[in-house]
Amino acid sequence: MTSASAPAERRLPGPWRLWALVPLLLLAGVVALFASTGTSLLDLVGRAPPPLDQFNVRRVEFKPGEIRIRVTNPQRPKLTIASVTVDDAIVPYRLDGPAALGRLRSSTIIVPFEWVKDDPYTVGVTSSSGIQTTFDVPAAVETRGPSPRGFLGYSIIGFLVGVVPVALGLGWLPSLRRADARWVAAFMALTAGLLTFLAFDAFAEALGLQAQLPGGFQGTGLILLGIAASYLGLTFISQRFSMRGQRERSAPLEGAALATLVAIGIGLHNLGEGLAIGSSIALGELALGTFLIVGFMVHNITEGLGIAAPIAGGANVSRARLAALALVAGAPAILGGWIGGFLTSDLLGVLFFSLAVGAALQVVVEVGRYVARRAPGGLRSGHVVAGYLAGIIVMYVTGLLVA
Amino acid sequence: MTRKQLLVAAAPVAAAVPLAKLGLAGAATPASPPSHAGMAMAMDPIGHAAMIGNDVPAPGGPNDLAALLYPPKPLPHQPGRVREYTLVAEDRQIEVAKGVFFSAWTYNGTSPGPVIRATEGDLLRVKLANASSHPHTIHFHGIHPSNMDGVFEIVEPGGSYTYEFPARPYGMQLYHCHSTPLKKHIAKGLYGAFIIDPPKPRKPAQELVMVLNGFDTDGDGENNFYAVNGPAFYYAKYPIRVRRSQTVRIYLANLTEFDPINSFHLHGDFFRYYPTGSSDQFEYTDTVMLCQGQRGIIEIDFANTGRFMFHAHQSEFTELGWMGFFDVVD
Repeated sequence: MTSASAPAERRLPGPWRLWALVPLLLLAGVVALFASTGTSLLDLVGRAPPPLDQFNVRRVEFKPGEIRIRVTNPQRPKLTIASVTVDDAIVPYRLDGPAALGRLRSSTIIVPFEWVKDDPYTVGVTSSSGIQTTFDVPAAVETRGPSPRGFLGYSIIGFLVGVVPVALGLGWLPSLRRADARWVAAFMALTAGLLTFLAFDAFAEALGLQAQLPGGFQGTGLILLGIAASYLGLTFISQRFSMRGQRERSAPLEGAALATLVAIGIGLHNLGEGLAIGSSIALGELALGTFLIVGFMVHNITEGLGIAAPIAGGANVSRARLAALALVAGAPAILGGWIGGFLTSDLLGVLFFSLAVGAALQVVVEVGRYVARRAPGGLRSGHVVAGYLAGIIVMYVTGLLVA
Repeated sequence: MTRKQLLVAAAPVAAAVPLAKLGLAGAATPASPPSHAGMAMAMDPIGHAAMIGNDVPAPGGPNDLAALLYPPKPLPHQPGRVREYTLVAEDRQIEVAKGVFFSAWTYNGTSPGPVIRATEGDLLRVKLANASSHPHTIHFHGIHPSNMDGVFEIVEPGGSYTYEFPARPYGMQLYHCHSTPLKKHIAKGLYGAFIIDPPKPRKPAQELVMVLNGFDTDGDGENNFYAVNGPAFYYAKYPIRVRRSQTVRIYLANLTEFDPINSFHLHGDFFRYYPTGSSDQFEYTDTVMLCQGQRGIIEIDFANTGRFMFHAHQSEFTELGWMGFFDVVD
């Protein structure tokens, strides 16, 4: 008798999906039993503290003759809007939505008010339990609704800060084609460096935005979900690309396929960047002058270089395809601008930025695999190390223009 | 790169287009007229100066504050007569502004507490029964023995104590709890008006009591609402009707906590102000300032009929509830 023969296929009879329901049914039974005891269990260990009764002020908008305050109930118990103040004066108001808000439910408070342009305001919302939540607006600026003019404006801004610099950056392609392999590897590493920078940048943005969300939305979990979804999604796409190329499964991507991946990663980042610019303009937090537009262009031109580098070593790529790559990487800034400018969702902002993190990281990994295999000297060559650091430094220095 | 690859690459962009549409639709909806079902209050876009009557966000019905506004009738001078009052200290949720509830500490369920009135020389017996969950006292302003001062006689929950002293001197006095922490016991609502009439009766008048107070509903050491006799904006919603033919006499006291001063300002007329009401000295003015615990008597002979506003001349207090109207009729 050999004990080495594994008990390989000892499956019990019956459908496994049905048996999987057993713990769930047991859970339902225990929950029902516990719920039937009421709060008596809680009385054994203490008493629940009273709810905070603070509203979450999501957005304050200034329209001609009125102020709109969007509030959410971040807590489990109901929260009722009872009184509204502007600069410590009780004001008449009407509601678009219910006065008594259930968990994570929102209402918009509309206050007829002759506000003064550029003046600071403090709005306050008091609950039926007397707890006042205040929100400071540093300077009142009219929030514009969707209009053809605004649409065009955000499109032009998105085009200038997204598509144009990427397209210009692709202009490095003829130069790269003439460079030797070590330099191409250095520029590939530079691409990885700048993408790492973008991933960090997007991660910080996502963390900052989620901190403003009510806790119930679990912003950090949402970030993880976004990162995992985009990382794995891009991994799947790159797998498909390499299968197309009839190469072995583990081979790194290269050429146009790798450039496309880089473009997608950058595109997702620009979606978040456009959204941030759009909402900052809409809420009057950003003075978008010529200097800032130029700053974004200088900052983003390296993104075009990042897309050009993988193509440099390979076969010729048509102009139409290059234009498509520029659009994939740059055009999301336009879309982000529209969403940020016209929509009131900071939840979407968190999601977009975390998608950008995962995408950028995946592309860094893909570029790293390429460099490790194809570059002279691999990942440890001086050109590659210097290129990677240069990528981060370039993004940091040009970032000073827009910070 | 094949066309299919390009499509896959463009997927994030393409997927975002419907999102943008969704966003635009979402941004557009608030512009449509709000449903009436969801509206807490329907009000015209008017400022406070014109806020009067049914549109005013004040709680309660038209005569809810009658017992606090109209004092008991004065009795003729009769030294040694016994006047008995019972005050029960209770914890009570009170509506201090429309829809806003405050966990108050009260005498007899209201903040301010009941009006205590005696004539100089009466023997006052005020029983404090403590039905609340904290120790309380009553500290009266006036002249009395030290063991009747409401400082040393702490009444524990469930206990009681009877303060006994001759009522003097005449004037507008006040009473409040003196348990520690003092600020807390006053801010929570334990105070009221205490009128001592002079031996020689004052000339007949339409008598009113106004206790200026505030409520710090979120416990940050600043008042969220200001009022006269309780709820914010109450007398803006229910103007006080008075006749022009007879003097209006207001027994006025400031029991606002946290803010060092409060004030009373009358529109469209002047009045005689007797500080503390303890002498014949008066000032002819339309605005008086009172620090915490300061009080006096106001006498108005209205020259005109119509609606006349009265309010604190601290604009902040006015806009946080301390304003009202007289409705002067012939």
